[in-house]
Amino acid sequence: MTVFKGFLLITKRNIHMMFLYIAIFLTIAIAAQKMTGGNQSGFKQESLNIAVIDRDGGKLARGLADYLAQYHTLVDLPDDPSVIQDRMFYREVYYIVTIPEDFEDRCLYGDELLPVTKVPGSNSGFYVDQQINTFLNDVRVMAASGFSLADAVAEVIDNSKDTAQVTMLDKNGFGGEQPLHAVMFQFIPYILISILCYSLGAIMIAFHNPDVKRRMMCSAIPVRRQNHQLVLGYILVGIIVWIICTLMPFLLYGKDFVNDPNMPYYLLNSFLMTLVSLSLAFLVSTLISRDELISAVVNVISLGMSFLCGVFVDLDILGKGVRTFAQFLPVYWYELANNLLAGNQSLSRAQTVSLLTDYGMQLLFAAAILGVALVISRNRRTA
Amino acid sequence: MSSSDMIRIENLVKRYQDLVALDHLTLSIQEGEIFGLLGPNGSGKTTAINCMLALLKYDKGSITVFGRNMQPDSYDIKKQIGVVMQNVAVFEQMSVQENIDYFCGLYIRDKAKRQSLVEEAIAFTGLTDYRKMRPKKLSGGLLRRLNIACGIVHKPRLIIMDEPTVAVDPQSRNKILEGIVELNRQGSTIIYTSHYMDEVEQICSRIAIIDHGRVLATGTTEELKQMIKTGETITIEAIELDDTLLAAVRGLPHVFDLTYEDRILKIRLSTARHNLVRILNFLKEHDISFGRVFSELPTLNDVFLEITGKELRD
Repeated sequence: MTVFKGFLLITKRNIHMMFLYIAIFLTIAIAAQKMTGGNQSGFKQESLNIAVIDRDGGKLARGLADYLAQYHTLVDLPDDPSVIQDRMFYREVYYIVTIPEDFEDRCLYGDELLPVTKVPGSNSGFYVDQQINTFLNDVRVMAASGFSLADAVAEVIDNSKDTAQVTMLDKNGFGGEQPLHAVMFQFIPYILISILCYSLGAIMIAFHNPDVKRRMMCSAIPVRRQNHQLVLGYILVGIIVWIICTLMPFLLYGKDFVNDPNMPYYLLNSFLMTLVSLSLAFLVSTLISRDELISAVVNVISLGMSFLCGVFVDLDILGKGVRTFAQFLPVYWYELANNLLAGNQSLSRAQTVSLLTDYGMQLLFAAAILGVALVISRNRRTA
Repeated sequence: MSSSDMIRIENLVKRYQDLVALDHLTLSIQEGEIFGLLGPNGSGKTTAINCMLALLKYDKGSITVFGRNMQPDSYDIKKQIGVVMQNVAVFEQMSVQENIDYFCGLYIRDKAKRQSLVEEAIAFTGLTDYRKMRPKKLSGGLLRRLNIACGIVHKPRLIIMDEPTVAVDPQSRNKILEGIVELNRQGSTIIYTSHYMDEVEQICSRIAIIDHGRVLATGTTEELKQMIKTGETITIEAIELDDTLLAAVRGLPHVFDLTYEDRILKIRLSTARHNLVRILNFLKEHDISFGRVFSELPTLNDVFLEITGKELRD
């Protein structure tokens, strides 16, 4: 087992790089959780910084301001277009309602619309529009029913204090939220590809050195047996890196992860990603013959796939074009499976089929990449 | 060819498309020899070695090593061969000792035996003080010694050394050459390729001159020197000669070639007694003044020049 031992010895020499990547991975994963974790504490009504410029000063105008204040934070703003522009530009205020003089006549009994200024393209602005319309409609209806304007306004404000009880559908056993271990598994492809491609690439470049290769071919150990030992080394390093990566969710979120019924599927998914990463590592070592190039190539592959396939940015946020392109990359299928597991505690038949498809695609990618690498390697040998 | 040949190569032909690298090469190397393969770059030395080691397929001919046909899967034969490559073939990530141990492990399984062999190889190549160092930190000469240590650590019967002293300083080169002679004294047969003729002349018991993939001559240094016409080269410095006198010198007995450049006259003569006296008498008779005079016996360079018509370093 000389070749195998040599393989492990060279791996040991590159171990600092592995730890560096694990540290990067942990930092990214924990930072991402800190950023997203705080916002995911159940349903919360949208609240904005808005301003009401009251040029009317009547009961209805004050009532509208009070009504909006229940949902949003009212910001004091002078009735000066340049100040309004500045505050909006710096996003200190997202929505400004200007209540004109004769508000009651013009907007409640007339057809005139309230002039509003909002951040262009803002979804939340549309939400405030709806609240203003609701208020005016309710007051209009109450007034038509015989209420005085003051009573109608008071009644509408009073009614709006009743809030709906919102319960999130708990499909995944984590209150509808993405479990933290799922966030960690979302980042695992980056670390697997980086560590395995970098470390195995560096090792294989050493073994692919033509002079070393010649010397080994002259030796008393058959070339086939040497290759078997190298493959064994590959697999061992792959398994160790996979164990380290999957150990982290156990250590950081032990109970939650262990109690998640999808745990074995997460592990299987990451194991398949390990196989893909091993194939990629073999391809990289076949294509590159110089140590200095490894880092650059590995970064392009790992970061490229991570950005395109939803490792660093959720798949849902990515554009349609990017998602279509990402389908030709293995990490996309890993992330699809991960999202499926993160969102569902028990899988329906269709979801199980979908999960198996994602697994199968990763296996196919691993086989295809390995096949390409073997063809290139053979062509190089016979060239 | 005798039946005691350690290596026998017969009519070996190796082509790279249109280029004939080995053209019916025939050689035999006997046990206990330091056999020199001498030839310019591209003459076919490395190709011949690669064929001997079954690293290259050849188009025609046969190679037997230790009396058996050499094939890529002849591991019993390979076990008894050590190879020192032209380029340093070691792992950058391993220390000197780890490298030697690794390559020893490709031949020797037993750990205790391997340890003692590694220690011997380290001591033999003078790498004791550098055993923990990585190859990157070694000088060119030490790297070459490490390269040799990796090739000889398993004490092979046959050692093939492909230009092991390329780019090595004279001190390290001498150390390496002494080591090679010592290895031979300890019982290893050595095939040594080089284009440094002084090295080959110094250590090889028999030499083959190769060019264009063919063996042009084989023999001991003395035998090779006897094959050529040049018996002696006389050089005379600071001498003034006109064409008439030059023609007269050319006409002297045993002179078969001369050159006259920058007031230096070089006369090549066939083997005969009193050549120098005859030349000096001629200069005295014609009252020709001259500077230093010296006579040299033929070197391998002369042999190579006469056999191939070109300098070895071409």
